[in-house]
Amino acid sequence: MSAMTHVGEVVLVTGAGRGIGQAMADAHIAAGAKVLYLDFDAALAEGAAAAARARGGEALALTANVADHDAVAAAVAQGVAAFGPITALVNNAGISPKSGSTGGKAPVWEMSPQEWATVLGVNLTGAFNCSRAVVPGMMALGRGAIVSTASVAGKTYCDIVGVHYAATKAGLIGMTKHLAGELGPHGITVNAIAPGRIDTPLMRGTASAANDAVKAITPLRRFGTPEDVAGTCLFLTSPAARFVTAQVIDVAGGWLMT
Amino acid sequence: MTAGLDFTGKTLLITGAAGAICRPIAALYLALGGNCVLTDRDEAALAATAAELDPAGTRTLTCRHDVTRPEEADAAVIAAVIRFGGIDSLVTGAGLYRDAAIASMSDAEWRQSMAINLDGVFYSCRAAIAHLRPGGAIVNLASMAGHRGSHTHGHYAAAKGGVLTLTRTLALELAPAIRVNAVSPGLIDGPMVQPLLAVKGPALMAQTPLGRLGTGDEVARAVCFLLSDWASFITGESLHVNGGLFMD
Repeated sequence: MSAMTHVGEVVLVTGAGRGIGQAMADAHIAAGAKVLYLDFDAALAEGAAAAARARGGEALALTANVADHDAVAAAVAQGVAAFGPITALVNNAGISPKSGSTGGKAPVWEMSPQEWATVLGVNLTGAFNCSRAVVPGMMALGRGAIVSTASVAGKTYCDIVGVHYAATKAGLIGMTKHLAGELGPHGITVNAIAPGRIDTPLMRGTASAANDAVKAITPLRRFGTPEDVAGTCLFLTSPAARFVTAQVIDVAGGWLMT
Repeated sequence: MTAGLDFTGKTLLITGAAGAICRPIAALYLALGGNCVLTDRDEAALAATAAELDPAGTRTLTCRHDVTRPEEADAAVIAAVIRFGGIDSLVTGAGLYRDAAIASMSDAEWRQSMAINLDGVFYSCRAAIAHLRPGGAIVNLASMAGHRGSHTHGHYAAAKGGVLTLTRTLALELAPAIRVNAVSPGLIDGPMVQPLLAVKGPALMAQTPLGRLGTGDEVARAVCFLLSDWASFITGESLHVNGGLFMD
């Protein structure tokens, strides 16, 4: 469990262009892994990967909409060709639209079917698409780690997010437990992280008063940082967590204690 | 970021330190640079543990400690403060796991399990609170039994369930200076699980996705993760180390 815990690992992080995903990807670089920075936004992916390379890391940018099965398969093939078999997948790409008439999330009576389908596609189908593309390689290796970014909103009611977001995060938790059962015999662990309010571009899409109200009732009395979440992700993809599977770990400063 | 796995200059107080799960926790904390105050009721086993982990005795202190006696928790904490100046990490590992069906359980069996598995955690945490340095963390060893119950271990399961809620309350009361979490081991190789394996071993392995027992080292890594800065925003949480046997 030294600082260079991930030498020889090849890690694919989705939504790695900024926020929590970038911090997770950067943490794996710092721990010695080769990292594939996948993002929907090509400029963000390249910027994050280039910054990692500038610090001496082995990083490659990949561009795909995770909701697009064929695009994910092509990106994964490109990544494997460059860095070798993927040993860890971090399903982190996620969106949380705030299109309600009062500036926050759309309540169910305002939500368009298109918005529902878009969020389902990115947050939940995206994790399936990436798992589907990566798992056969992990099975061939006989080992692997999958970590998904869920949310405390997938475990309990949270008025900040929309029903699409809550449903997809609950879906990720179900996917995590199911895949842990299917893939455990192949030496693959599957876990999720449930962040609370983390200071990211996504969080700043919510009015600051709503965020401050959460901070006031969070025992650690602060927002989390992307690095706080990255530390837990590193643990779950590291050799230290080889007997930890099917778990959902709150990284929420004690908020909600779901 | 990865620097968070360094306990140099930090001090862990761990109860039940001579046990099969706690010994690897102390060993890992020492390997990551920290000091350890090892406490246990069994002085001979404690001395042997210390001799094995730190033959020179430069970074460990041993302290006889029956966790059912509050004054011995206070004494262990004071000894730690005198030797190392304070405490950064507390792990409550002392426990007792005995077979007994509730229908035929004696008052004494119930009381003994509560005293060791729950009262002991309260006494140890209470004693340490005033001496835990800001930025420190507590990890209470709970159990899968505390989440789902356990056939013929009702006293143990009830006490461990209590440990889980004690953990959350401590997380609320000690925040933001101190983080408090629990680790819930499943079936971990060691003397404690042998009677159970003799009866239900094949069935339990079939129900475990990873298909094997865990090791004390694997519990130790989860505990040290929660004690470390890698877990800087985690408090009030319980972390299972069970190979998927129970998916909370």
